[in-house]
Amino acid sequence: MNIFVLNCGSSSLKYQLFNMKDEAVIASGKVERIGMDNAILSHEPTGRDEAKVVTTILDHTTAIEKVFDILVDAKHGVLTNINEIDAVGHRVVHGGEFFADSVLVDKQVKAAIKGVYDLAPLHNPANLVGIEAVEAVLPEVPNIAVFDTAFHQTMPQKAFMYPIPKILYKRHKVRKYGFHGTSHRYVSVKAAQFLNKPIEELKIISCHIGNGASIAAIDKGKSVDTSMGMTPLEGLMMGTRSGDLDPAIIPFVMGKENLTLNEVTSMLNKHSGLFGVSGYSDMRDIEDNMDNDSRAKLAFDMYEYRIRKYIGAFIAVMDGIDAIIFTAGVGENSDTLRKALADHLTYLGIEIDDKVNRTRSKEVRRISTSDSKVEVLIVPTNEELMIARDTLRIVQSNK
Amino acid sequence: MPIRKVGVIGAGVMGLGLTQVLAEHGIEVILVDKEEAIIERARQHLIHLLDKEIEKWGLTESEKKVILSKIRFTLDKQLLRDADFVFETVDEILEVKKSIFNEIDHICRPNVIFATNTSTLSITEIAAATNRPERFIGLNFTHPVVKRQLVQIIRGLKTSDDTYEIAKHFVVEIGKKGIQVYEAPGYVTVRLMMPLLNEAMNLVVEGVASAEDIDLAMKDGFDFPYGPLEMADRMGLDAVLRVTDGLYREYGDVKYRPALILRKMVRAGHIGEKVGEGFFKYNDAGERIE
Repeated sequence: MNIFVLNCGSSSLKYQLFNMKDEAVIASGKVERIGMDNAILSHEPTGRDEAKVVTTILDHTTAIEKVFDILVDAKHGVLTNINEIDAVGHRVVHGGEFFADSVLVDKQVKAAIKGVYDLAPLHNPANLVGIEAVEAVLPEVPNIAVFDTAFHQTMPQKAFMYPIPKILYKRHKVRKYGFHGTSHRYVSVKAAQFLNKPIEELKIISCHIGNGASIAAIDKGKSVDTSMGMTPLEGLMMGTRSGDLDPAIIPFVMGKENLTLNEVTSMLNKHSGLFGVSGYSDMRDIEDNMDNDSRAKLAFDMYEYRIRKYIGAFIAVMDGIDAIIFTAGVGENSDTLRKALADHLTYLGIEIDDKVNRTRSKEVRRISTSDSKVEVLIVPTNEELMIARDTLRIVQSNK
Repeated sequence: MPIRKVGVIGAGVMGLGLTQVLAEHGIEVILVDKEEAIIERARQHLIHLLDKEIEKWGLTESEKKVILSKIRFTLDKQLLRDADFVFETVDEILEVKKSIFNEIDHICRPNVIFATNTSTLSITEIAAATNRPERFIGLNFTHPVVKRQLVQIIRGLKTSDDTYEIAKHFVVEIGKKGIQVYEAPGYVTVRLMMPLLNEAMNLVVEGVASAEDIDLAMKDGFDFPYGPLEMADRMGLDAVLRVTDGLYREYGDVKYRPALILRKMVRAGHIGEKVGEGFFKYNDAGERIE
C-alpha cells in the first residue's frame, strides 16, 4: 500500500510517499512560496537526483496537482499512475478536545478542525486547505487526519487545567493541549522497542528539542503532562519563544513600553528565547560563540537550566523515571547540551558515556553507561512515518 | 478570482497606510504617485515605520524584508494593468479623481474593481468617469489605517451586488471591519468627527480651555486615543479644512462652517504633524514634542 503524507503550511507544504510494505520512503519533497509566480517545487525520488521546478503556483490545490504530476512524471516520477496512492495522511496541528487519536476525515471531522481555528490560527486553516485540495484531486482516496495534540489528550484534568476562573475553560476552552504529540508518541514507542521492554512498564521523559521545544511525561505509554500549553508558547525557552514567565510581566511591559496586543505577542514569540537573550536563535551559533560571548553563554545556561527544571518536575509527576529521550534538531545533535544536562542530574544516578554522546548517527542509541540508573537515549524522530502508520491503521480498521 | 495584486494610487498618509496593511497581509502592491519625490518619501517613511515596529518587537527584520518586497513604488500607471483591484487615495478634488479613474479605466482589465477612498465626494459621480460604474465602490478607511479597523463601504447608484460582496469580503481578508453606508457627504465618521474637531478649535479661540486641556478632556473623559486637536494635526489641518468646507458646501448648514482659526493656520502653513507644527509641535518621527 502506498501512503502519501502531507504537511501543509500557509504558504508551503512538505510531503513524503511511503510504500508501507517495508515503510520505505519512495519520494519526498516540498513546495515553497505557494501563492507566488515563482513558487519552488523540490522533489526527491529516493536514490535519484533531486528535481527543482520554479513555476506559478497560486493555491494549494494547484500545488498538490503539481506534486501529483511529478510523482508520475516520465523522468522524475516514482508511480505510473496517481491512483497507486491508496491513502493520504495529513498532519493537523490542533484537534482541540475532539480527537484523542487519528481519524478518517469526513464532514464532521472537517467541521471540528474548523471549530478550533481560534486555537491555531496560523496552522489549522492551512491544514484543512491541504485536506480539501487532496479531496479535489483524488476524490476516491481516504484522507486521515493525524493531530499534534491527540497524544496529550490522556493528560488528567489536574494537569491540563489552568488555575484561573473555570468559566474561561467552558467559554473558550482555555486549557493545556500540548504539541509535538506525534513525535513524542513515535520516540517513546521506539525507545520501548529499543529497551526491549513493554511500554506499559516504563516511565519516560521525552525531550523534543528543536527550534520549538517541548517535554512530555509519558507514563505507561500515555502522556500525563507536557510543557507546551494552550499554545506552543508555554514551557521551555526556545529559539525565539520565551516559554514560561510571570504572566504579570505582560501587562507591565505593555504599559511601560506602550505596546499593543500584537506587539507583545510578537515579542514573546519572535523576539525572545535564545534570540532575545543573546541575539542568536540557533543553538549551533550559541555553541560556536559561548566561549567568548557572555550573552551566548547565558542563553545556553538558561536554556539548559529550564529543560532540567522540567525534567525534575516530570520525574515528580510520575514518581520515578526509567528513561530520558532526546530528539529533534537540537536534541539529536547537541552533545554539549546533553552533556550539560547529564552532568547536573547526578542525583538520579545518571551517567553518560562521553564518547558515545559525541558520536553522530541516524540510529536509535543509548548514551548512558551500563552503570547509569536511568537510560538516556537518542531517538531520531520521524513524524511522517508515524503519520503514515496511523493512516494505514485507520484505513485497515475502516475496511 | 482571488485578489493577489492591488494597485494603490496616491502615496499620501492614507495610501501608504493602506499599502502597509495590504503588504502585511501578503498581497502585492503597486503604489503609484505622480512625483518621484513623493514616492521616494513614502518609501523612506514606510521603512521608518517598520523599523519603529521592530523596535517595539511587533515585527522581525525578515518580516520587514518580506513586506517591502511586496511593494512596487512607481510613477508608472501602466503597471496597473496587472492589478486585480485598485484603490485611489488622492486629494479630495473631484476633477482629479475623475481624470485618474478615466485614465486607468483604459489600463486595467475590465473586470477589475475600482475603489475610491473619498469621504465627501459622490461615488456615483466619480464612477461616471469610467466605463465600469457597476464595478466601482467607495472604501473609506480610517486614519491611521494600520491601527484602525473600520472601513465604511459605500455603494454608488450603479455598484453591483457582486462588487459589494467582493469588496466586503476583501475588507475582512485584510483584517478590517466594514460597515455599509449609503452615499451622503461625510458618511458616518467624517460627518460626526469634523464638527467635533471644528468645535474644539472654536473652544481654543474662545479661550474656554487650553489646547492641551481640551485634548486631555476627550482622552481621559471618553477614551479617545488622541484628543480632537492632535487628531486634526495628524490628519493634516489642510485636509481637515478641505473636508469641513466640503461638508459646509454640500449641506449648507452653519454647523459645518470651518473655524476661523483653522483657515488661518492653514494659510500660515502650520498644517500639523507633517510640517512639525499645528496645534502642537512634532518631531521628524511624528512624535509630539510639546
